[in-house]
Amino acid sequence: MDYRTCAQEIFRHVGGRENLVSAAHCATRLRLVIADNSKLDMKALEEIDGVKGVFSNAGQLQLILGTGTVNKVYDEFLAVSGMTAATKEEVKAAAAARQPLPKRMVKALGDVFVPILPAIVASGLIMGLLEGLCKAFPGLADSGTYTIFHLFSNAAFVFLPILVAVSSARVFGGNIFLGAVIGMIMIHTDLVNAWSVADYVASGTPIPTADVWFGLFNINLTGYQGHVIPVIIAVWIMCQIEKRLHKVVPEMLDLFITPLVTVCATGYLTLTVFGPVFSTLENWVLEGVQMLITIPFGIGAALMGAIYPLTVVCGVHHMYNVIEAGMLSSVGLNTWMPIASAANFAQGAACLAVALKTRERKTKALALPSAMSAALGITEPAIFGVNLRLVKPLVAGMIGGAAGSVVGSMFHIGATAYGVTGLFGFLTTTDYIVPYAIELAVSFVVAFAVSWFLYKEKAPEAAAPQTEDAPTLTCQPGVVYCPIQGKVIPMEEIPDDTFAAGVLGEGCGIEPAAGRVVAPFDGEVTTVAESKHAIGLSSPDGMELLIHVGINTVELDGKGFTLHCAEGDQVKAGQPLLDFDLDVIRQGGYSTTTAVLVTNSEDLGPVSVHTGDQFPLTPILTVNACVQAD
Amino acid sequence: MKSFTYTITDPVGIHARPAGLLVKAAKAFAGAEITVSKGDKSAKATQLMKLMGLGIKGGDQVTVSVSGGDEEAAAAAMEDFFQNNL
Repeated sequence: MDYRTCAQEIFRHVGGRENLVSAAHCATRLRLVIADNSKLDMKALEEIDGVKGVFSNAGQLQLILGTGTVNKVYDEFLAVSGMTAATKEEVKAAAAARQPLPKRMVKALGDVFVPILPAIVASGLIMGLLEGLCKAFPGLADSGTYTIFHLFSNAAFVFLPILVAVSSARVFGGNIFLGAVIGMIMIHTDLVNAWSVADYVASGTPIPTADVWFGLFNINLTGYQGHVIPVIIAVWIMCQIEKRLHKVVPEMLDLFITPLVTVCATGYLTLTVFGPVFSTLENWVLEGVQMLITIPFGIGAALMGAIYPLTVVCGVHHMYNVIEAGMLSSVGLNTWMPIASAANFAQGAACLAVALKTRERKTKALALPSAMSAALGITEPAIFGVNLRLVKPLVAGMIGGAAGSVVGSMFHIGATAYGVTGLFGFLTTTDYIVPYAIELAVSFVVAFAVSWFLYKEKAPEAAAPQTEDAPTLTCQPGVVYCPIQGKVIPMEEIPDDTFAAGVLGEGCGIEPAAGRVVAPFDGEVTTVAESKHAIGLSSPDGMELLIHVGINTVELDGKGFTLHCAEGDQVKAGQPLLDFDLDVIRQGGYSTTTAVLVTNSEDLGPVSVHTGDQFPLTPILTVNACVQAD
Repeated sequence: MKSFTYTITDPVGIHARPAGLLVKAAKAFAGAEITVSKGDKSAKATQLMKLMGLGIKGGDQVTVSVSGGDEEAAAAAMEDFFQNNL
């Protein structure tokens, strides 16, 4: 069918633009809010090719078009009628666009990283311990135990781009498996491992190249091991391509064409455009830092110590092995290592300050092992998991790194090898034990102190006026009061087809800002899911309400949920019913969007929704029938 | 009256989403009264809250009984629904 013709036909029979208040769509229906129903030509609407059914319900005209079709007709309808879009993506995008760009980027980075942190923390700790033990007991490196544990320690790092790609695809709304493929392409074994590039350069072996864009230029076939930002950018591009294709490709061909074109286009762009741009940037950084550290009086070292973590964020730090190898072969002493070590140790110290100062259990549990891992020289968990997200600790770490680097430069500390930093660095700086200790101490103290001073915890999220004594609120019949602090969104925008389509009843979604559910009216608790994520209530005026925390959270089986009520309890509006841990839900990879649905709305009639940011106990839903009945 | 028993294969059982779908499926047969029971507890298939209140999990055996108009078709549709969704 022709989506545009269908949209034009619909538009022709709804009484013109001035009769249209708003347009939206759910999984199967185009929902139009109509000013005057008498101007509708229902007969003609029913006969339009592609329209499977039409009915009008309380000012809302619903046209059943079917899954996969409705969104395309909707897009055409907006164009035909000249209305502006209000789909969930666009509303979200509009809301997000209000934040400044750097903030959005840091948030995206955090969203990508938080779910994969457990993997990185585990690997980081194993790797740090193993490398240290090996330097202490040289025989260990030849043992089978080492071989096996070494495998565990670097698996997450070797394949980090895949983890990052999957997580990014989820954050940016693409197919996570296509995301994984992009990640795999970027570290494919046919490409030279990024960590081996230094060896190639040192030994003078040419890096294999391939001609691209029909011989326009050649690219180096090097992988992206250890990279984070390029992977996120590549997957972001992939998601844009994929989403665009879903819109333009006819649905019958969607499954053939979209993945094929998405992978080919993204992969080729990544390796041929991205790769060269990135490796050029990398070389500039490399040349830049080499010039930087020649600035005398410790100034160069201080600057380098400060910007070091930023280069880790960008993923260019593995190139430093080239510098270190060069130093060792020319003067026999690696004076780069003390800078890297100060920078890493300082990030750990800044992270530790957060761990000790925070009152949030989650942050503490994350920051402590991350700080330990950083002390052993593996800083990714501390930087990506804690410091970068909170920004101030990162700055504190940079200041500490600069201070430590100055000390290192003053004492002319040099290491006899490369690859180890932090506490285990002592093993390669045996001629400078005391200076190295002073350097680490300075980095630690400065970073810790600055981080402690700068990092201030925001007031706990749940600090909304929630005194334990029952709030005095006289409930209006037919009104559902907000059970969770957060942003109320229309039901159609709940990221789940079943809820969005109203299969469980009409209502709204809430994007929670705090993890507490309070009673939405005076009434009775009728059901509590065994997995504690959903509560059913009934009100004296006949409403049945389902509060379903998160999407698919039944799979958490109660983890992160604490109940404060039981089936059969009589509750007063505002009384706490359930506490839930937003981080546990997010880390499990679930959406925290909570559905608040009047499950018997089919019998009661239309429900009106008050969207926007709401505090507990502001009215969010009104069931007209119940109001009138009273 | 027609009835059948079914052992739930979906490990999470009848939680909100499948319950909603079940209600929707059951409501298509307005003339028939469809009851889902587990042990000595039972609920009408059109009552979402009661259904969820049964706490049906994977491995549980449930009995679905249908009576009233259209019972042949309704029972067949229910059996189909359980096999495809639960």
